[in-house]
Amino acid sequence: MNETEQKTTHFGYKTVAEGDKASMVADVFHSVAAKYDVMNDLMSFGVHRLWKRQTIASSGVRKGHHVLDLAGGTGDLTAKFSQLVGETGQVVLGDINSSMLKVGREKLHNLGLVGNIDYVQMNAEMLPFPDNSFDVITIAFGLRNVTDKDKALRSMYRILKPGGRLLVLEFSKPEHDVLSKAYDFYSFNLLPTMGKLVANDSESYKYLAESIRMHPDQDTLKAMMEDAGFEQTTYQNLTGGIVALHRGFKY
Amino acid sequence: MALEKITKNNNGAMSSEFFMLPNFVLSLIERVLNQALSLDPQLSQKLNAVKHKRLVVEIRDWQQSIQLVYSADQLHLYSAQSNENADCMISADIETLLALKNPAMLTQLIRQDKLDLQGDLNIAQTYSNAFSGIDIDWPEQLSKYIGDAPAQQLYLHLKELKQKSSKTDTKISTMLTSLCQDELAITIHPLELEQFKQKNRELKGQVAAVEQRINALLNSFLPSNTR
Repeated sequence: MNETEQKTTHFGYKTVAEGDKASMVADVFHSVAAKYDVMNDLMSFGVHRLWKRQTIASSGVRKGHHVLDLAGGTGDLTAKFSQLVGETGQVVLGDINSSMLKVGREKLHNLGLVGNIDYVQMNAEMLPFPDNSFDVITIAFGLRNVTDKDKALRSMYRILKPGGRLLVLEFSKPEHDVLSKAYDFYSFNLLPTMGKLVANDSESYKYLAESIRMHPDQDTLKAMMEDAGFEQTTYQNLTGGIVALHRGFKY
Repeated sequence: MALEKITKNNNGAMSSEFFMLPNFVLSLIERVLNQALSLDPQLSQKLNAVKHKRLVVEIRDWQQSIQLVYSADQLHLYSAQSNENADCMISADIETLLALKNPAMLTQLIRQDKLDLQGDLNIAQTYSNAFSGIDIDWPEQLSKYIGDAPAQQLYLHLKELKQKSSKTDTKISTMLTSLCQDELAITIHPLELEQFKQKNRELKGQVAAVEQRINALLNSFLPSNTR
């Protein structure tokens, strides 16, 4: 990702100083937090719920497991994991953004989900947990916002228990050209307009579309996971590759 | 591995995967089942015995596997990647699975090789028992919206209507049978059919006896060198 210098990185299509990206991403999410769920439903026509269902189905989460829902945002995955791990398990909802965590915590409290959920503000590159702490780590639509993805993947590998698995749900590269063109038109023309109308913020949604294009494709991300130490790494394309679910194990 | 298999299957079932149809259907079924759970308090009590246990159901003719978990007073239904982590795994055709409404059929179906079961049999039996015995108090549920008396009246009317329609069905069926058999004479009575079959069997036996006699005669008349 650092193509020209060590000290720069991508922020959408812009090249910015590495140290600035986290705060710029933070600004985007501070801005969209309140309308995040509504916009997710609207932008994906509700399909994001099905992508998340597939992630849960692939997680193998069961009673007593310790789960980290990284970049968990408003807690869609945490809500289900909390029910599946039961009172003997633990789910940590982690996000770098305090606004998103606040929205998530309020939403989960309103759903009556308390007791086995911790809320931690954290940076995915430096996860504040001991080695071998979690059975499952998920990061849904978060990895592309991380400045140093390789470092983040290594950090996740470190805190995963042997036998544990990482699931990365992220936008990816559509498999077919026709779909790719339609998707581009939708992302760059309709999405920012929808963002402006609903959340009064077209720039954040322009960043969303750009950051998706700058994110590594399916095979590159798979290779990155393998470089970080993950084994039996596979991916599954969802909705024609618009989204891909990567899965890797630590042994 | 399972995920790779599914990745390959994606190419074969592009449209259904594109729209995430299996996931969509499962989310609808999950919603209906959870609605049933909220309407029949007994169901939750029965399912408490299998709390957090994972049942994987493989529907052979649909080539789909579903995992079922009951936890936090809710049923969770997901597509299953494989039978990993399953406490109980059932594999059968949809017709066989529907026959499980009667829990007593479970062992019989296993013996007939129509159903494969791995893991804890008790989990499958508990689910089968729980869902076969769903008893929703409809008048009580209806009364929340339209009041006690109208709900009871409506329920009784619907019940009566169901009985009447069942009676009418039987009546029409009997009438059609007698019309076809006696009035129009386009079909025969089952007894006549049985009689016809019996006569056919007798005739078949007689023909076989004649055939044997002819063969014996032919053999005796043929010169010994051609035998």
